[in-house]
Amino acid sequence: MDPRQRPLLRRRLGVFRVLTWGLVALLVVVYAWLQLVRHSEFKLLAMQQAVKVRPIPAPRGLVLDRNGQRLVDNRRALHLVIQREDLPTRTEVVTALAESLSLDPAALAKKIQSYRLAGKGHPLVLKENLDEFGIALAERVRARYPFLSVEVAPRRVYLGDELAGHVLGYVGEVDEPMMKAKPDLYHLGETIGKEGFEASGNDKLKGVDGQKRILVDQLGTEVANFGQVDAAAGRSLFLTLDAGLQQVAQEALGQEAGAVVVLDLRDGGVLAMYSGPSYDPNLFLNRLSQDMVDRYLANNLTRPMVNRPIQGIYAPGSTFKLLVALAALEKGIVTPQTQIYCAGKKNYYGRDFRCDKLTGHGVLSMVQAIAQSCDVYFYELASRLDIDDIHATAEKYGLTERTGIDLPQEKRTRIPSRAWKRKAVPKDPKWYAGETISVGIGQGAVGVTPLGLARFYALLATKGKLLTPHLFYGFRDDQSNSLELAPAPPPKDTALDPRIWSILDEGLYEVVNGPHGTARASALKDITMVGKTGTAQVATFVDRAHYSRQAKSLKDHALFAGYAPREKPQIAFVVVVENAGFGATSAAPIAQKLVQYWFLDRPLRPLPPPRGRMVDPFAPQPREEAE
Amino acid sequence: MKERFRALDPRLLWVLLALIALGTLTLYSAGRNTAQSGIWLKQSLWNLMGMFLMLLLATTDPRRIFRYSFPAYLLGLVALVAVLVVGRKIGGATRWFVVAGQTFQPSELMKWVTLLYLSHRLGSRPPDTVGRLELVGAVGLVVFPMLLIQRQPDLGMALSFLPILLIIPLMKGLRARWVVALLLLVGVGGFGAWKFALKPYQKQRVLIFLDPSSDLQGKGYQVNQSRIAIGSGGLIGKGFTSGSQTQLNFLPVKTTDFAFSVWAEERGFLGVLLALGLFGLLLNRILDAARAAHTNAQAYFCAGAAGIFSLHLLVNVGMVAGALPNKGMVLPFFSAGGSSTLSFFLALGLIMGILHHSRVK
Repeated sequence: MDPRQRPLLRRRLGVFRVLTWGLVALLVVVYAWLQLVRHSEFKLLAMQQAVKVRPIPAPRGLVLDRNGQRLVDNRRALHLVIQREDLPTRTEVVTALAESLSLDPAALAKKIQSYRLAGKGHPLVLKENLDEFGIALAERVRARYPFLSVEVAPRRVYLGDELAGHVLGYVGEVDEPMMKAKPDLYHLGETIGKEGFEASGNDKLKGVDGQKRILVDQLGTEVANFGQVDAAAGRSLFLTLDAGLQQVAQEALGQEAGAVVVLDLRDGGVLAMYSGPSYDPNLFLNRLSQDMVDRYLANNLTRPMVNRPIQGIYAPGSTFKLLVALAALEKGIVTPQTQIYCAGKKNYYGRDFRCDKLTGHGVLSMVQAIAQSCDVYFYELASRLDIDDIHATAEKYGLTERTGIDLPQEKRTRIPSRAWKRKAVPKDPKWYAGETISVGIGQGAVGVTPLGLARFYALLATKGKLLTPHLFYGFRDDQSNSLELAPAPPPKDTALDPRIWSILDEGLYEVVNGPHGTARASALKDITMVGKTGTAQVATFVDRAHYSRQAKSLKDHALFAGYAPREKPQIAFVVVVENAGFGATSAAPIAQKLVQYWFLDRPLRPLPPPRGRMVDPFAPQPREEAE
Repeated sequence: MKERFRALDPRLLWVLLALIALGTLTLYSAGRNTAQSGIWLKQSLWNLMGMFLMLLLATTDPRRIFRYSFPAYLLGLVALVAVLVVGRKIGGATRWFVVAGQTFQPSELMKWVTLLYLSHRLGSRPPDTVGRLELVGAVGLVVFPMLLIQRQPDLGMALSFLPILLIIPLMKGLRARWVVALLLLVGVGGFGAWKFALKPYQKQRVLIFLDPSSDLQGKGYQVNQSRIAIGSGGLIGKGFTSGSQTQLNFLPVKTTDFAFSVWAEERGFLGVLLALGLFGLLLNRILDAARAAHTNAQAYFCAGAAGIFSLHLLVNVGMVAGALPNKGMVLPFFSAGGSSTLSFFLALGLIMGILHHSRVK
């Protein structure tokens, strides 16, 4: 090397050396800043993303029928969720995620927003009850969006499918109005009962969620558990329902629209309550698809979402005649022996009111009039009564109030009065005497719920005891699997005159068991069933030929209400079959089947427990056929 | 044989072995319980192979190696063109040849070949006989392979060629106007690159570097997690194989770009001091070699090598701490990878040879 160059090169290399050590020193400063000065800040961040507190959802209590057969069960299910702290913020991510899961992007964004605002609590459930395809989809999507996680949580299974859809209801995610109403009680993302007994019995059924502190990896998978407070499952409870009788009701009503109610006369327990067409609560278990199901079912012409026994308002038809007779006897307008002539029709206030039997029933006493369901006899009673008398009697015997059953959204039976008309028809507030004549045979403005009517017939069966229908039977002792009976709501006494009662009872007996009774075809040999048929007009027709040509939706509703056995009544029942024609031919045979099963077949042939679709992602499952 | 081992400079060798030990431990911990659990073993094979090559070069007369620098440079250019045509595309970039299941990145070696050729070209004559035009030509010789590499695209790799240009101030000195000119060049070049040359993802990296919190779920995620790993390590670290960020996979690409974060998390600031100290000693010894070198070319090569190692150190260690943009530049002896490891060892082999022969003569 050129010796003149050497010192120059060395000096320059010395600068390099200083720069190099300066570089090392600079990096040391950077790391000292991160690791010493800001250590605690980063330590917290590292812990926050690795250590998570997760709620452990508590299983809801099971629902059993009165014999301990399961109506609602829990299964383990897999849900695709986003934990609270992992909620995505960017719109592109949310949109892409929604698309890959075929969800509505706007709805998902809104949901994520509300979850973020609500702070701590349950994770956001994107897809519930994953089946094998759902799991495959979830895993695929999770590879792209690592903030998703799959969680095991209990889900509801309604074993009877449509058997008791309206009674049991279904569960869903708590909605905003409910949370606003009771902010301390409900938390975002919580599962609560939405309909039926799941809703009214929610506080009894719901458990207490637990929580756990876990270590998670970057995919949110649990790596270690630092300790947990176990969830306390909700208590299982018994309903007064008898699954076997319920099934008989379901099968007897078949495809018809209508309602069946059977009450236990000892305490008012509901033994069967079926609303046709029914729905399958299992369909409502997917949170984000629930709106669609709701909309579909609500728009269906047969209105399957209406729980007809407590929400259907029907003209009671001739089943109402018992109340008119009761009002007339109590008022002393007629005696049981009073004879009234039926010529097939009678003129009141310038208008002809026809009897069902066009040739006329001839001379009738009260028992005969009830047995043969003579309209003219009851037109006559109504003409001698004031509408407010009928209303007062109905009020006295509890027909104007809600029955108080432990189900949500029960409708009130409508018994017209002058005050009612002023309020309901402000354009024409005057009550016309002619309207009372129609009310005399359970037409016109009268509208009852099947359960309200059943309660009235239960009152007749018990000689004046006003029961409160109820479904809650008791809690299950989870150790011994036995029933801890809950006290039934106490009955009220209505001071029904036993002499008047015996006339009505006699009339109801003759309807089924008398030689001219309208429902004599439905009499049972071994047990004395009593009751009253009813045929409620939906529209007015010129004559029978005209009627038979009409569309089914305009045909009369068939009713049958009664109790059994006559000697020592145990059950009261109401059957309503919509647009089915005569009560005697359509409704009474269903009642007969109920009584037949309850008293004669049940001890010999109890029906098997309800078996619904069992969706269990942990069990191998046959592939469902594509629709 | 014993003679041959004497060619290995002990002061460089110990530092090197210590760094390899640190790197292997890091890779063992980073690969634990993942699909890459054997990566430390694989990297150890590369290291062994590299040390063998290092031994070979150290025992060779450096002047013989410099003599082959021009053909090597031409071969390197051919390889860079070839990789664009027949290379394997991985993650959107065409950087690799695939030979017998192993990927090989020609640009890694080309960096050192370019340095070798430039040192040879500029160092074979007295500095004052080298004209300006020739200097411009030398810059062109560096920039040309850089442009080819940016076609792949691989900005980090392309930038790692820049320290080669340190040869010029080393031979000509640095005047104030040169510094100003350089700053201007960087400014204009940076603007031009932003406007015309940078790919969108590269621009995004720069933007996210300027504000890492703008994209915690996306691109900023990696650096953010790395900073959490480093910061949470504290003074003494969380312990070997006990770093939560590393072991729970919050830390991304932890066997390559972010390997140093693993070390920082589990061994803490003291571990970082140790590693940076070792790197400092390594650079120091390389500069010793430059000082001791017999010829200008050898001195230039060593100085350039120190520059390249420094840049890797600065960019990788700075990047994982969030102090520099997220640029894919590996950290020697920590980041797993065959081509880069072999290249580093080859360079060190040549440097050892230079040291050895300066003593022998």
